[in-house]
Amino acid sequence: MATHVPGIFDEKLRGCVASCRVLVVGAGGIGCELLKNLVITGFEDIEVIDLDTIDVSNLNRQFLFQKQHVGRSKSEVARESALRFNPKACINAYHDSIMKSTYGVSFYQKFTLVMNALDNRAARNHVNRMCLAAGVPLVESGTAGYLGQVTVIQKGLTECYECQPKPTQKTFPGCTIRNTPSEPIHCIVWAKHLFNQLFGEADPDEDVSPDSADPEQVGDAGQSALDSETNEHGNINRVSTRGWAVSHNYDAKKLFGKLFNDDIHYLLSMDKLWEKRRRPTPLEWDKLPSTSVSENGEGLIEDQRPWTLAQCRDVFETAVRSLHTQLKGKPEGEDLVWDKDDKDSMDFVTACANIRAHIFGIPQKTRFDTKSMAGNIIPAIATTNAIIAGLIVLEAMKILQGRTNECKTVYLNRKPNPRKRLLVPCALDKPNPKCYVCSEKPEVCVRLNVEKTTVRTLEEKILKTALNMVAPDVEISDGKGTILISSEEGETEGNNDKMLKEFNITDGTLLNCDDFLQNYTLTVNLIHCEKLEDGAEFEVIGNIDELKKAQEEQAKASTAAETAANGPDGATAASSVMGSDDENDLVCLDDENDDTKKRKISEDGAQQPRKKLRQETSEDDIIEL
Amino acid sequence: MVEKHIENITEDEAALYDRQIRLWGLDAQKRLRASRVLVAGVCGLGAEVIKNLVLSGVKSVTLLDHRTVTNVETCSNFLAPHDAIGKNIAEASRERAQILNPMVEVAADTSNVKDKVDEYFTQFDVVCLCRCGREQLTRINNICRQNKILFFAGDVFGFFGYTFTDLQEHQYVEDVREKKEVEQEGKKQTIEETKMVKRTESFIPLCQALDADWTSNKYASQLRKISPAYFIMHILMEFASLHGRIPDPARRNEDEVELLTIKNALLEKMAVPQEKVDNQFAGLVFGQVSPVCAIVGGVLAQEIIKAVSQKDPPLNNFFFFTTLDGAGVVECIGY
Repeated sequence: MATHVPGIFDEKLRGCVASCRVLVVGAGGIGCELLKNLVITGFEDIEVIDLDTIDVSNLNRQFLFQKQHVGRSKSEVARESALRFNPKACINAYHDSIMKSTYGVSFYQKFTLVMNALDNRAARNHVNRMCLAAGVPLVESGTAGYLGQVTVIQKGLTECYECQPKPTQKTFPGCTIRNTPSEPIHCIVWAKHLFNQLFGEADPDEDVSPDSADPEQVGDAGQSALDSETNEHGNINRVSTRGWAVSHNYDAKKLFGKLFNDDIHYLLSMDKLWEKRRRPTPLEWDKLPSTSVSENGEGLIEDQRPWTLAQCRDVFETAVRSLHTQLKGKPEGEDLVWDKDDKDSMDFVTACANIRAHIFGIPQKTRFDTKSMAGNIIPAIATTNAIIAGLIVLEAMKILQGRTNECKTVYLNRKPNPRKRLLVPCALDKPNPKCYVCSEKPEVCVRLNVEKTTVRTLEEKILKTALNMVAPDVEISDGKGTILISSEEGETEGNNDKMLKEFNITDGTLLNCDDFLQNYTLTVNLIHCEKLEDGAEFEVIGNIDELKKAQEEQAKASTAAETAANGPDGATAASSVMGSDDENDLVCLDDENDDTKKRKISEDGAQQPRKKLRQETSEDDIIEL
Repeated sequence: MVEKHIENITEDEAALYDRQIRLWGLDAQKRLRASRVLVAGVCGLGAEVIKNLVLSGVKSVTLLDHRTVTNVETCSNFLAPHDAIGKNIAEASRERAQILNPMVEVAADTSNVKDKVDEYFTQFDVVCLCRCGREQLTRINNICRQNKILFFAGDVFGFFGYTFTDLQEHQYVEDVREKKEVEQEGKKQTIEETKMVKRTESFIPLCQALDADWTSNKYASQLRKISPAYFIMHILMEFASLHGRIPDPARRNEDEVELLTIKNALLEKMAVPQEKVDNQFAGLVFGQVSPVCAIVGGVLAQEIIKAVSQKDPPLNNFFFFTTLDGAGVVECIGY
């Protein structure tokens, strides 16, 4: 430990390092490297928390873990391994979620500083709020492939993690997924939805059958569409996909016929769709066209070998059978959860996506690539994590020395920028006075339809998922103090299925939302809106100014395809690169992208001329994966 | 270079290396799998490089160091156990390096790099020197040039570190994104295509990079922009050759004074203004600070991975990191 040998550090730094108490949130890719650096440097009072267990795919970089540890708690094994670097260190490990109420403001106040080594935005948002509430400095970090980033957050001095809106996950319009896929990802999303319809928790937003209410087709529905009754959502009023499968005892051949033949014939009958598109080709179970596979697979790993259509069908048959067995093994009312690491789940999605891709003339994807896309896998390597963890400790040392004003956001680039920098330090930004988290009176606007939004949607999808509260209490600002949602169990459950309108909530109603754990109060300004783009249920807009801006932009854009809907959580939509994989090391690609505008070069103090800055960032600073 | 005996990746390896194969591809992983690396100087920086390379799945890593484990070494080399003080550091670090990845051959060699003859280095595809004086650096660099061995060097002094790369004539491929206009469904659309492009990069020997003439027109004009870390590296090399040792935490006060004396003389000799290097540096070069080893070792190992996998442009030829400005800078010096 460097603090044990006088003369490595100056005496002041040596004292601060030896005496401080730090919390490390996350014991994954960055966390393992960070613990090593901390212990070797001489930090001796460390607590580490992680809810995850060790998987084989972690071992290429999470170097505190070995094969014999697979399945064990990350935080506990990380503690054991790190202690070997300094047996005198005191490391406390929690195998737990940092978002639990056990870890309240007083827990955070024990620490001199907190270091995030997380892989998902929800936990980052939460720790950000807890550190703001506790007044503890936070060093935040993230990596994605060759790229990484470290920054420092201190209440009142710097931007907080939520000061700048983060781009939301890319979602695809329902009719693209259901009717007119044109890219492999559309077929993969469809296949994941199909999995949930057949074996998982069905979500009405994830229908996989043809959508006769396709805007392109409306007014001239195809013959068979006219023949069938359609309900208000445009779905043909027949039994649900699940019901259909159950009534046919999950017979793979019959399912195939429905999904890849009947439904495709139905789509063909919606002739408007195919005026400017290649018409899909229905397939038959035992009359599959023979597809030649372009590569022979020599030297490739198994998952990288492309499948023929017949192989897809066979895998489909086996996977349906196994998944059906898995489902039957579950207690009544329980469903399967799609998991990229479950063989049958992954086989099913690969087979279905490729069969559908063939039908629509879309290039096929190997199981390997399908897994990346369906599982939102962010590739991760040891070197990037090591560099980022090193930078975290250097920023932490500045904070300990009382030099917070010298702290920086540091980016790790893939290539040197035009100023020859591979590691680029940038000045920290001041807090956003309108931030809906760290400003004095946090306020946010939400657009939704008060007649069609339930209290449950408000709580689960808006307050918890989009606005990241943990256990909100909500009071309507109507002068009477009507309690809409209570965090006490059982108190307001009766409200869950009621529409907001039933509580006299209208355009302009203010809700006072309070999260006791996060010590956070937020005023939500509701804006009534009949219909949002792409059928989104709601849209979160930072403040009134941004709302106006957004509305102007909307007016300009004639078709708002793929407008980011602050929609349902990440699991519903698979975007190819942006989403965070629940087990990976982080997402900073998104941060990185929206931070480009504020990449100023710190040593010069002032911001560079905008033009030059833009040129710099577009050329070299950001390399999208 | 490593076109010989490229073996296929097994399914076990595919599972272990899944997340990195998704980043750099199967071909790169196969090339890694075939490369034999020597890391001389099992210090804090060496330990980081060794860890990263063993994790990545190279064929073999040889740890070469004649020194013994000391208290100061265990402040940065996390591979050397505390109860091994007094034992040979390469030998003591071998076990923890091996545990990181049983699929990689990890060997220890306790001899002094000075005593290794030319032929010794030819059994490796990559030679990486840490904690090595100028004389040995240039000697081994020349051996590597004669034998087409990829050459890397690096060191960390306190809060400062550098790396140097000499790949001679290096061929690599790079994915380049191109925007293309295509007609789709009657509409004009821009799509992005990824193309693989072959490129070559030339490197110069270390002695040439160290002997750049700062009075020449070319370098005098660049002086303002060049990282002060280049000169800090020179000062430390000079200190080591004058005193036969590196700055010692136990003699911090006298060594700080000596570093400033060397700085004055050296910069004057090189015709570089004294203010190019802030005197603060002298207090920041003791021991090897673990986070700095992690940063420099991360960059160095990634460059080795890049070079053997022949993918992506290498950093040509120095990388410097100093906490004075917190930047990690790539400098191309000596051409």
